[in-house]
Amino acid sequence: MLTDLNLSLFLAYKSITKGNKGTLVLTIFIMSLIFVNLVFTASIFLGLGNTVNNQVINTLYGNIAVEPKKDEKYISDVHSLEQKINSVPGVTGISSQYVIGAAFSYKDKSGAWAIRSINPDDEKTVTIIHNFMIDGEYLSKLDTDEIILGKEIPGGYGGDLEHLSLGGVKIGESVDVLFNNGVKRSYRVKGVFDVNFQQSNNLAYISQNEMESVLGFNDKASLILIKTGETGNEEIYIKKFLELGIKEEIKPWTVYAAMVKNITKSFDMIALLIAVIGLFVASVTIFIIIYVNTISKRRQIGILRAIGIKENIIIQSYIFQAMFYAISGTIIGLFIMFFILEPWFIEHPLKFPVGYVSLLIVPEKVSINTISLIAAALAAGLIPSWMAVRETILEAIWGD
Amino acid sequence: MVDDLTSNIGNKNEILLGIRNLTRIYTMGKVRVPALNNVTFNIKRGEFAAIMGKSGSGKSTLLHQLGLLDIPTSGEINIGGIDILKLSESQKAKFRLERFGYVFQEYALLPELTALENVFLPAMARGRKKEDYLKTGTKALEQVGLGARLHHRPREMSGGEQQRVAIARALINDPDILFADEPTANLDSSSTRQILELFQKLNRELGLTVLMVTHEPEDRKYVSRVIWLKDGELVEKEGIPGAGNLQIAKD
Repeated sequence: MLTDLNLSLFLAYKSITKGNKGTLVLTIFIMSLIFVNLVFTASIFLGLGNTVNNQVINTLYGNIAVEPKKDEKYISDVHSLEQKINSVPGVTGISSQYVIGAAFSYKDKSGAWAIRSINPDDEKTVTIIHNFMIDGEYLSKLDTDEIILGKEIPGGYGGDLEHLSLGGVKIGESVDVLFNNGVKRSYRVKGVFDVNFQQSNNLAYISQNEMESVLGFNDKASLILIKTGETGNEEIYIKKFLELGIKEEIKPWTVYAAMVKNITKSFDMIALLIAVIGLFVASVTIFIIIYVNTISKRRQIGILRAIGIKENIIIQSYIFQAMFYAISGTIIGLFIMFFILEPWFIEHPLKFPVGYVSLLIVPEKVSINTISLIAAALAAGLIPSWMAVRETILEAIWGD
Repeated sequence: MVDDLTSNIGNKNEILLGIRNLTRIYTMGKVRVPALNNVTFNIKRGEFAAIMGKSGSGKSTLLHQLGLLDIPTSGEINIGGIDILKLSESQKAKFRLERFGYVFQEYALLPELTALENVFLPAMARGRKKEDYLKTGTKALEQVGLGARLHHRPREMSGGEQQRVAIARALINDPDILFADEPTANLDSSSTRQILELFQKLNRELGLTVLMVTHEPEDRKYVSRVIWLKDGELVEKEGIPGAGNLQIAKD
């Protein structure tokens, strides 16, 4: 067994090192491109999904959101609820908000958008909107007649839905807001933000104090956003909140990201399709290379068998060659992915409507692609070499 | 079992190969072409025999059957009382590796390997230790006069030299019999002479049994026996000029 293995390796090694160098380099190059294609496609789609998820967490809902009990419009006794939530280790931020629909008008333009009210200091512990002001300033706690707008609302900031905007509101100008409870106020636009996520860019923010004066009550909320130290353990936190006796609806961010789940599923399907095609191309490439190799060495294979070299040694030697092509291609492909493409995309992320997308290289995906490519190479090496040793020795040596 | 067959078969003048009623019929569509017809003879240990005959007489076909490279339609090939045609394919491969040596018309060397690597390949396949097969391979190449060409690849050698590498490869596992299929057909007269003298030397000095297919009448002077074939059958041929110690075929 060990002898057979040694001899197979020896024959494969000699064939690789003493064979045609151009063919060798080209084959490995093709393998590396196929590997990069497999990993890159999956990584860009994963990166896209990851960006959407991060946007949902960082600009809309935090890791966990508390909503009013069923059949209730608002969460009551918010202050004591916040204290309970804060008592759970790992909670890094809480922001209570009122969310209300309103009609905006500016000169002859108007539109309807949602307004969220916030305590700016609390909001900064949960969302990152304050870091993405493209004009003016972020809200401060004492602001009462000021509003900040997402990029889609004022117009003139290159929004995706510019035609639905207010047509060019400038910082310092006033917009009229008619809340859906009938209260009408005028607010000076203090700032405009752009978080590169259309859904977030369609929101406007005012201070909590101002909203409470509009609604006429306090210590209530439509939504409490909770930020945790890490993403992925939301269910554990929710369990702890329930143990504390919180009766409101508690939802992880994934519930809110459900809208993008179908997109993610489609991306996964596309990535899988490309991976299958890539693997098929890899298999065919290796198959052709090994097949041509066995055809051109048909006589040699016959001679080897004639002098008593076992068929399995010959087959193994071709499988080792195929594996060498695949493993070398994978190693070079990994180098390209981790040392060229990933750093480049970190520096130059792609701009999508959901935000800036970089590659997300997941070790499991890389492992699956590596194993798949090697398995494809194994099959592609086995079949032609097996076909080659099926011939009789005389047919192989002298042909038909 | 093959292992049983690897035991010492006997001394010089003992029968090494016993061939009985060997028949090979090729089927081409509905046509049956008999290439060998009831061939029966013995090969003794230490013989240097030539299989001769006109083109199409069945020389190579006979050699292929004896060398276990083809499967005869019927008949027996006995070694040590065992019909080796009844062995399984893997046993036949082992037998070819351990008991037979082959030299083909077109050298049949692996171009990626050096002369030494080509030679020690069968020894490596037999599981011999590296030190052993390197030493034996070197010795075999020295024996055929290529001690200075150990690390040359086939393309760097002449046809005659390549054929001598093939002979060294055939010798590495110390075979009972060496089968040579027109080994000089592609060589010039000088190389031809060197190869045939080498076979003669190996036969005389080492007692190696050699069975060679040739169509060159002048090759008879190197062999101790000629097995004549005509239309797939053995024939007696008397009065061959220059035959020397020639023994007439047909037992």
